[in-house]
Amino acid sequence: MALLDITAQAGPGARLMALLNNARFRSVLYQALTLGCVVLLFWYLVSNTIENMSQRDMSAGFDFLGVSAGFGIGFTLIPYREGDTYLRVFMVGIANTLLVAVVAIVLSTLLGLVVGLARLSSNWVIRNVARWYIEILRNTPLLLQIIAWYFGVFTLLPRPRDSVGWLDAVFLNNRGLYIPAPLVGSGFTVALVALLLGIAGAFAWTRFARREREQAGRIRPVIAPVLALLVVPPLLAALVAGAPLAWDMPQLRGFNFVGGINIPPSFCALIIALSIYTSCFIGENVRSGVQSVSRGQTEAARALGVPPGRTMRSIILPQALRVIIPPLISQYLNITKNSSLAIAIGFPDLVSVWMNTSLNQSGRAIPIVAMTMGFYCLVSLAVSLAMNRYNRAILIRER
Amino acid sequence: MANTSSPMAASSGLPPAEIFKPKPARAAPASTLGIQGWIRQNMFSSIPSAVVTLLGLWIVYAFLDAILTWAVGNAVWEASNRRECLDQVGRSGACWPGVVAWIPNLIYGLYPKDQVWRINLAALVLLVWAVPLWLPRVRSKVEIGLSLVLLFPLLASYLFLGGEKGAIWSALIALGLAAFLWALLTTATEMTTGLSFTRFVVGAVGASNRSEEASRRIGFAALLLVYAVAFVAVQGMALSLVQTRLWGGLFLTTVISGIGIAFSLPAGIVLALARRSRMPLISLLATAFIELFRSVPLITILFMFNTMLPLFLPVGVEVNQLLRAIVAVCLFAAAYMAEVVRGGLQAIPRGQYEAASAMGLGFWQATGLVIMPQALKIMIPTIVGNFIGLFKDTTLVSIIGLFDLLSMARAVGEDTRWLGLFLEPFFFVTMIYFVACFGMSQYSLNLEQRLSAGERR
Repeated sequence: MALLDITAQAGPGARLMALLNNARFRSVLYQALTLGCVVLLFWYLVSNTIENMSQRDMSAGFDFLGVSAGFGIGFTLIPYREGDTYLRVFMVGIANTLLVAVVAIVLSTLLGLVVGLARLSSNWVIRNVARWYIEILRNTPLLLQIIAWYFGVFTLLPRPRDSVGWLDAVFLNNRGLYIPAPLVGSGFTVALVALLLGIAGAFAWTRFARREREQAGRIRPVIAPVLALLVVPPLLAALVAGAPLAWDMPQLRGFNFVGGINIPPSFCALIIALSIYTSCFIGENVRSGVQSVSRGQTEAARALGVPPGRTMRSIILPQALRVIIPPLISQYLNITKNSSLAIAIGFPDLVSVWMNTSLNQSGRAIPIVAMTMGFYCLVSLAVSLAMNRYNRAILIRER
Repeated sequence: MANTSSPMAASSGLPPAEIFKPKPARAAPASTLGIQGWIRQNMFSSIPSAVVTLLGLWIVYAFLDAILTWAVGNAVWEASNRRECLDQVGRSGACWPGVVAWIPNLIYGLYPKDQVWRINLAALVLLVWAVPLWLPRVRSKVEIGLSLVLLFPLLASYLFLGGEKGAIWSALIALGLAAFLWALLTTATEMTTGLSFTRFVVGAVGASNRSEEASRRIGFAALLLVYAVAFVAVQGMALSLVQTRLWGGLFLTTVISGIGIAFSLPAGIVLALARRSRMPLISLLATAFIELFRSVPLITILFMFNTMLPLFLPVGVEVNQLLRAIVAVCLFAAAYMAEVVRGGLQAIPRGQYEAASAMGLGFWQATGLVIMPQALKIMIPTIVGNFIGLFKDTTLVSIIGLFDLLSMARAVGEDTRWLGLFLEPFFFVTMIYFVACFGMSQYSLNLEQRLSAGERR
């Protein structure tokens, strides 16, 4: 109050200065100015867009989703026929994108783990092979690698007639990879139920073993029983029910293969390039994670007589995972985003069928762009929520 | 007892106790010394290790052998079309004449061949402008570096594009040229006399003992003179217009990533400060922008700007495709850079902020003088990593139809003379990208080590 009194006496100019120097007033002023600018910008963009669209007879509605798209898609994970609606095309795109992402995530994790451990090897040759593998592949653009695999390898493969075969079941040629397709028979449900029971049993055994170890200090074998539980019940069920699964083998008829599953060359090239490229980054994550665990941990474990394998499994890895997992998840997100490069080699992922083909056909730029971006935003939002939960869960609990 | 026994022993006529002399250590076994020992320890320490070593050596040998046989051993160096190559060695060797014939296109795109000197001149100017940054005697490194990043694009824009220049554009081009001339002059004076250009001029006109105000006025006049010379020179230049659709190859890749890099650092700093701001609205807007651009793939942003930018602007305004791509790349890069800068800012301990406040520094002074210099130093490796990522990501503009280095490499195989020649140009382009990206990453490692020298005592 005293301050206000003084300024009131000092005249209007000084009062304005005092107001301008007031932190809260300034904060409100800046925010109001920013909001004003942003609103003006939006208004400008929106009004321009409306005018442009009315001039070009374009519409921003979502009503086209129910209209038949009328183009074929070369590779679809979920059923799609030419003549299905645009909404279906969107679904097909999402399914294909997720398929690429999941397969590439699995492969790149395995490969990255191998590369990361090789990078830590005490063997000079292996360490340096791993190092140069990483340096060469992560310093060249992913798009270049995808295109090089596609044009440089998969389209140069022999014709179907001279395809590279393996056990008469898997064939590789310039139309892609042919593998046997499983045919579901009568006893399949029984085997499936047995498999589910086996998985449940494996979970139960792991929990039991952990409780025994934590409460009674007894160490029970885990890996062998779990493997047995996963493999034996379905096999038994299959034997009892009588071969529920037949295989549809690819066979050469005339100029092309019939039967089996055909994986197009674009898919193969995309998966290989994505997995190899990302494995470099994952390998570096694994290396830095393992190196972040102090040497004292290993030495203490050895001093207590813990065998080396168990030291790695129970002492080093749990601590390293804390460092490895957050960047690993962001690499998974990168794979999902990078799968959009499929468009360069004609694999029908979301961006290719939706943001390119559908947009060009229907001309509905705004809803299509919004839906595509919405999908990617949703994925990354979901992943970052999961990551925050994980980060909270693994916080080191100190006393 | 042991203490008393030895004098007694000496008096009883026994030979005096020998003084303990350590035996010289035995030499380490030959198998652990020198090259042999190193090989034993690092490559053949155990049987599995030996097996893996041999396997690794075999992989390296097979890989290098295959590459060298293809790229050098069986390669064809002289042919006038691909058929001749295939007739000579088939697919077992590379067909380099196709790449050699296309090198001008790979580097300059479809830029008119008689105008290519303009690109080379700009590259030379850039190089000469950057040289003082590595000269130890030059003291105005920060000013030269800033002028390079901010004003070189003005000069380069005219060299690359050419054509009619209006009054404002002429003034801006002259500003770029004047900055270049100033950088040259100040480098020359600092190398010879240790004085910056303006100080040197003040000394030369014999006004060094005049008041501060007067000498500043003289220095300003000297700068104005430089600008006037530059302006006249720019008026004299008349370059023909080269449409941006003719730009391509390595040149285009460098232009797009260069603009992206130059834009992303300042924009990223502003965005990061906004996101950390205590004003909720500003922080919210910055967060929304950053997260939106980071969660979608670059290709969707490129597509979006490619289709929507013409819609966003007033009716009748045409935006060429290159500009659309550049806008998309700049915004994308800014969002990523913002997160890098935020990471660096978070690593600065609170005490630094508090100490700056205690010294009476306001927000901008504290940020500019205390926090940012420290944060930027920590961030160097990540920033360079981001630049490398951006340089690689510019290949995506080939998907929306610009002729960057990658598109040009693909075009070789569609040339009727070199039909189907894909591997060789890809190999060549891969080498270019690898050398550039690997060089940058090694340089950043080097820089990081030099800057942190004070912390390793």
